[in-house]
Amino acid sequence: MTEQQQVEAELHERAVALFRRSLHIRTFDSGSCAVCESEIRLLSSPYYDLHRLGFFFTPAPRHADLLLVSGVAVRAADHALRKTFDAMPEPRIVVAVGACALGSVFTEDELVHGSVDAVLPVDVYVPGCPPSPLALLHGLLVAVGRLEEKVQAFRFDLRERNPA
Amino acid sequence: MIWFLRGLRRGVVTTRYPAHADPWAEALPTPPSFDPQKLTFELAERLAAACPAGALRRDGPDLVLDLAGCTGCGRCCEVGGEAVAASGSFELATHDRGSLLKRIPIGADRD
Repeated sequence: MTEQQQVEAELHERAVALFRRSLHIRTFDSGSCAVCESEIRLLSSPYYDLHRLGFFFTPAPRHADLLLVSGVAVRAADHALRKTFDAMPEPRIVVAVGACALGSVFTEDELVHGSVDAVLPVDVYVPGCPPSPLALLHGLLVAVGRLEEKVQAFRFDLRERNPA
Repeated sequence: MIWFLRGLRRGVVTTRYPAHADPWAEALPTPPSFDPQKLTFELAERLAAACPAGALRRDGPDLVLDLAGCTGCGRCCEVGGEAVAASGSFELATHDRGSLLKRIPIGADRD
């Protein structure tokens, strides 16, 4: 890692730390089956209540710190997705939600890019089909640095439980 | 006033996450866990064929599980018998796409 990259990484980390207890989220559906949206909507229900964590949904990308993208990144949404991303103020975080957005369900063809990676710089990947609201909460908390990633330590071995 | 008291009687019904995971979280549709000692090459091939999402494949001596592709449908658990069961792990978010690829050694432990 060069010195410039180091400085950039540190700057990004410090900027993201500002979001820890106040984060505004803009959701973007780039061609999903709407089940991810259904789970995202549940986050603002009284049970999951993401406002208690200082997270809020905003209808305008200009007010958003984090872009929650679901779906396969259909080419028809390219323009809207690019404009949404460009309208967001720096620093901004992109979170890819669901198996489609991670690029494991549909391959690239003339209709879809196949993954959000191909269009935007993704910071956090949230797998699941759909990811449950708890998985989404974990993803958001990882994105702002309030929780550690756990999946590296998971071995998916039946004889030992994945460390919680 | 009566609504306020009713609310108090119910107590807190909001999830405690991230302080605690909810007790039902283990029952969520989650990626499978494997018992490497009970896996055979033949079973690995059958698991790969049974996975509708293409998240399981055999790669040499390993069974490769792509968490990004797993839809938690549970068909591998039906095919795999005692060698496969749901992991109950849902906290899979990561900055590194590569860490979602898990290699499970077939047959025995190598580490």
